[in-house]
Amino acid sequence: MNVLASRLKGKFTLDPLTVKQFKRFRSIKRGFYSAVVLGVMIVMSFGAELLVNSRALVVSYQGELFFPTYGDIIPGRTFGLDYDYETDYRDLDGLLQERGGDDWVLMPVVPYDALENDLQPGVYPPYAPSLASGHYLGTDSTGRDVLARLIYGFRIAFAFSFLLLLCNYLIGIAVGCAMGFWGGLFDLIFQRVIEIWNLVPTLYVIMIVASIVVPTFWTLAAVMVLLGWTAMTWNMRTSTYKEKSREYVLAARALGASNPRMIGSHVIPNTISVIVTFIPFSIAGGITLLTALDYLGFGLPPPTPSWGELLSQGTSHLGSPWIVYSVVIAIGLVLVMVNYIGEAIREAFDPKKFTYYE
Amino acid sequence: MALRRERQCTSDRKGRPYAVLRAGSVVGALLVAGCGTETPSVFQAPVETEQVPTRTGVVLPPIEVQEGDGLPEALPDDLVWITNEEDPLYASPQAKRGGTLRTTILSFPLTLRRVGPDSNGSFAGYIRPNQFGPIALHPQTRRPIPALATHWAFGADGRSIYYRLNPEARWSDGVPVTADDFVYAVQFMRSEEIVAPWYNNYYTERIRDVKRYDDLTYAIQGASPMPGGEMHATYSFGPQPRHFHVLTDNWVAEFNWEIEPNTGPYEISEVRKGKYIVMERKDDWWGDDLKYFKHRFNPDRIHVKVIRDANVAFQHFLKGELDTFGLTLPSYWHDKATGEPFDKGYIAKYWFYSEIPAASGMYLNSEDPLLADEHIRFGLAHSMNFDHVIETVLRGDYERLSTFQIGFGDYDNHDIKPREWDLDKADAYFAAAGFDTRGGDGIRIREDGQRLSFKVTYGWPEHTERLVVLQEEATKAGVELQLDLLDSAGSFKKMREKKHQIAWMGWAAGGLSPGYWEHFHSVNAGKPQTNNLTNHANPEMDPLIMAYRVSATLEERVALARRLEQMVHDSGVVIPTFRVPYTRAGAWRWVKLPDWLGTRTAASLVSPFADTGGFSGGGLFWIDVDEKRRIREAKDEGRAFEPVTIVNTDYRRKQAG
Repeated sequence: MNVLASRLKGKFTLDPLTVKQFKRFRSIKRGFYSAVVLGVMIVMSFGAELLVNSRALVVSYQGELFFPTYGDIIPGRTFGLDYDYETDYRDLDGLLQERGGDDWVLMPVVPYDALENDLQPGVYPPYAPSLASGHYLGTDSTGRDVLARLIYGFRIAFAFSFLLLLCNYLIGIAVGCAMGFWGGLFDLIFQRVIEIWNLVPTLYVIMIVASIVVPTFWTLAAVMVLLGWTAMTWNMRTSTYKEKSREYVLAARALGASNPRMIGSHVIPNTISVIVTFIPFSIAGGITLLTALDYLGFGLPPPTPSWGELLSQGTSHLGSPWIVYSVVIAIGLVLVMVNYIGEAIREAFDPKKFTYYE
Repeated sequence: MALRRERQCTSDRKGRPYAVLRAGSVVGALLVAGCGTETPSVFQAPVETEQVPTRTGVVLPPIEVQEGDGLPEALPDDLVWITNEEDPLYASPQAKRGGTLRTTILSFPLTLRRVGPDSNGSFAGYIRPNQFGPIALHPQTRRPIPALATHWAFGADGRSIYYRLNPEARWSDGVPVTADDFVYAVQFMRSEEIVAPWYNNYYTERIRDVKRYDDLTYAIQGASPMPGGEMHATYSFGPQPRHFHVLTDNWVAEFNWEIEPNTGPYEISEVRKGKYIVMERKDDWWGDDLKYFKHRFNPDRIHVKVIRDANVAFQHFLKGELDTFGLTLPSYWHDKATGEPFDKGYIAKYWFYSEIPAASGMYLNSEDPLLADEHIRFGLAHSMNFDHVIETVLRGDYERLSTFQIGFGDYDNHDIKPREWDLDKADAYFAAAGFDTRGGDGIRIREDGQRLSFKVTYGWPEHTERLVVLQEEATKAGVELQLDLLDSAGSFKKMREKKHQIAWMGWAAGGLSPGYWEHFHSVNAGKPQTNNLTNHANPEMDPLIMAYRVSATLEERVALARRLEQMVHDSGVVIPTFRVPYTRAGAWRWVKLPDWLGTRTAASLVSPFADTGGFSGGGLFWIDVDEKRRIREAKDEGRAFEPVTIVNTDYRRKQAG
C-alpha cells in the first residue's frame, strides 16, 4: 500500500511550472474569483432539483417520510387528495398547514420548476417579481418562473457548451496535430478540406436542419461539432510545427520514440498552454451560439428552458422588463466571468513569464 | 408612371414596348424613344409596324372541353337575367375622399405577379383585391352584387353561369374589359408557362368550359351543379388582361416586377424595392357610380411600408407613423395597446364581433397505430383543457370551437357540443383502450410497454404558449404531448405528407358553405398531398359527401352539411380548438369608420380594398385630413380627448351551453 501511495504521490506531484502557473492564476484576482463563483454555480446547477423545483424536498405524512425530488411521481391519492396525477406540493403544503397536526412539507427555496405554468385566476402573466408568490424574478408570458428557467437554462447551455468543446477539441487537436506533425501532402490536402469546410455557413445549416426535423440536444450538438471542429486545427497545426522542430523532439526521435509517443508525450503537453487558453472562450462561444439559435427559434424545442427563448420573450414583452433584465444580466455576468477567467489563464500560461531567451 | 405612358402609345396590343426594348431591336428601341415625340432625325430608315419584331409569346390552345361538358354554341333564349340592386347599402354617406393610409407589411414581396412562384405572399392581399370578378358578394346578405358584370343568369344544366359585363368596365390602362379577357383567363391559368400547378389543375378540373358570346357576354361552366349563390362563390373568376401578358417560357421572370393593369380602385404607382410600395386611387374609376361601391375606397393613396418586425411596426404605430394596427391578439389588445396615446384619446380601439368562418383544430392522424383506436381519440379530446387555455393565455377573448368548421350561417350545426375537459371520461376511454396504469412519470402505459405519448406538429412559435398549457394539463390525464415545432411551411409539408401524429393548425375557411370532400372523403385518405389530414375514411360518409357536392337545393345541402358535421364529431378525428369570433383594430382618431364599424362578415375593419374574408365589405373607412391636423396639434400641446374603446356585439352569437 505504502509503495503504491508513494508512487501515486510521485506521479501526482505537480510540475513546478504548473504550480507557478496556478499561483499566477490565483494572483489575478478577478479571474480567480470568477472561476470560483462560476464553479460554484455550475456545481449548484447540477443539483438544481434540490433548490428550484415544484416537487417538495421532504414530505412527512402520517408518520411516513417521502422524498419526492428524484424518481417516480407520487400521485395525489398517496396524500389523501382526490386525484391520480402528480401531487401539487405547494397546495399540499398549504393544506397541511391549515389542517395543523404533525404532517408537514419542506419545499425548495424556489418552489417552481422550469416547465410549470403557475396561472392565477383573474390576472394574466407575465407576473411581476414578488417575494410572496415565490417568483423572485417574476414569470414569463405563460406563468413559468423566470429564475427556474434561468437556472435550468444555464445548466443546459453549459452542458451543451462543454460537450461541444470536448468533441470539437478532440477532433480539432487530433487533426491539427497530425497536419503539423506529418506536414507535406497530408497537410496540404487537409488545409484545403478545412478551408472548404469552413465556408459552410453554420447558422444556415442549422436553420435548414431545424426546419426539417425538430432539433434535439444531441442532433444540435452533432451538427455544430460537424461544422465547428475546424477552428482548433489551425492553432494546433502551427504549434505542432513549432514544437516538432525543437531539440527535445529531435532527441526523442533519435532515441527511437514512436510517432504516437512523440505526439502524446512531447508535442501535446507542450502545446497545452495554447489549448487551455482557448477553452474559456470556446465555452463562451458555445453558450452564445445556443442562446442565439434559441432566440431565433432554431434551437432546442419548446418548452426546454433556455436563455435565448427567454430573451425573445423579453423583447416581445418589453412592458414586463423583469424578463429581459433577468436574462440580459445573467448572460452578461456569465460571459464576463468566463472572459475574466480566459484572460487570467492566458496571462498565467504566458510563456514569456517562464522562459528566458538567450 | 413612365411605364404606363409608354404602354399607351403602342397600337399593337401584344407587343409591349418594354418587351420590344428588351428584345434588343434597334427599331423597337427607336420606336419607344420616339414615342410621343417626333421620330428622331438621325435614323431615317422606313419603319413599318409589320416589320417590328413584336413578341407574341406562345400561342395558347383553344379551350379544351372534356366529354359531357361544354356550353351551348349560341346564347340560349330562355335565360333569365338577374341583377341585385335591392340589398341594403353598408357604406357611410359621410365618407370623404382624400388623405393617405399608411400601413405596413413584414417583408417586401418577392413578385408583383398574381400567380406563379412566390405569388402567395402577404402582398397578394394588396394586389388580388384590386382585380375584380364579375360579381362580388354582399357582406351582409351574402348575396351576389354586380361588379364587372351587371347581370347574370343560370344555365339549365345547373352548373353554368352567364354574365353580361358592364360596358364601362376598364383596365387601369384604359382598355375595356371584354368577354375575351375571361376566355383568356382560363387559357392563361391552364398554361404551363405560369408555373402554377394548383391553378393549372383548378382551371381544368373545376372550371370545365368558358365561352364568349359577344364582347360583353360570356359564360362559364363548373364541374358540378350547386345552388346559385354557391355557384358564384365557387366558380366565378376574374379576367386576365389579354393585351398585357406575353406568355413565354420566361414569363415568370420577365413579369416578376411588371405592374399588371387591374380593374379595382387602386393601382401601384411607386415601387421602392425593399422599402415601400405606394398605391394610388384612380381618379376616374369605372366603378365609382355603382350602387354598392359608392362612398367606398376613400383614401387617395395607400403607403405600404416594409417593417420587418411586428413589435417595431407597433412602435411606429404608437408614434403615429402608421394609421392603424391590428389588435386581434390578446397580448396586443390588453397589454401593448395601453398608455398615453390611448388614454389621451388619440388612438381609438375597436372590437368588432363578426361571423368569420373558422376551422382550426387538432387533426388526429387515424393511420397512426394509437390514434386508429377511437377510444384513444375520445380520451385525448377529454384530456385537452381548452377552457383553461382560453381563461389564462388567451385572456378569455377566444371561444372554444365546437365543430370542425363554423361560420357559414345556416350550415352551422349548433347542436354539437365539443368534448369537454373531463378526467373521469378520459380515464374510462383510455382504460377501454388498454391504458389503465400509469408509469413512473405519471404517463399512462399499456401492457406491452407502449406509452400514451403523442407528437403535436405545428408551425407557429406564438402558439407555443397555448400548447405548453395544454401539455401541462394533459399530463394530469396521463397523456404526454411532445411539441414538434417546425417553420410554418415545413410543418404544413409534414402534415400534407401525413407524417404527423397530431396536426395543430387552422384552415383559411372561406366561401359560402363548408367543404368536406377535401378533408374527409376516403379518396383523399392515406395518400400524401391532400387536405385529408386525419386520413379519415368512412364508407358511410363518402356517399353523403358526394351528395352534398352535387346537391342543387339549399335545404338539402344544409341538411347534409349538418349531418356530415355530426359524423365528423362522432368519429373524433378532429378536436376543434379555438375560434376568434371578432376582429380588433387600433386606429388613430383621424381614421373614421361608419357608425356600424363594419359588416356582418368583416375579417378586418380598416381594410382599404373591397375584399375582406371573401365578401365585398372593405374600404368603408375614410381619412379626415382636417381632423388629422387638429389631433396632431393637440398631441403636440398635450391636450387630451375622451378615450375611445368601442365594442360592437351586434353580430355576436351567444355561446351555446
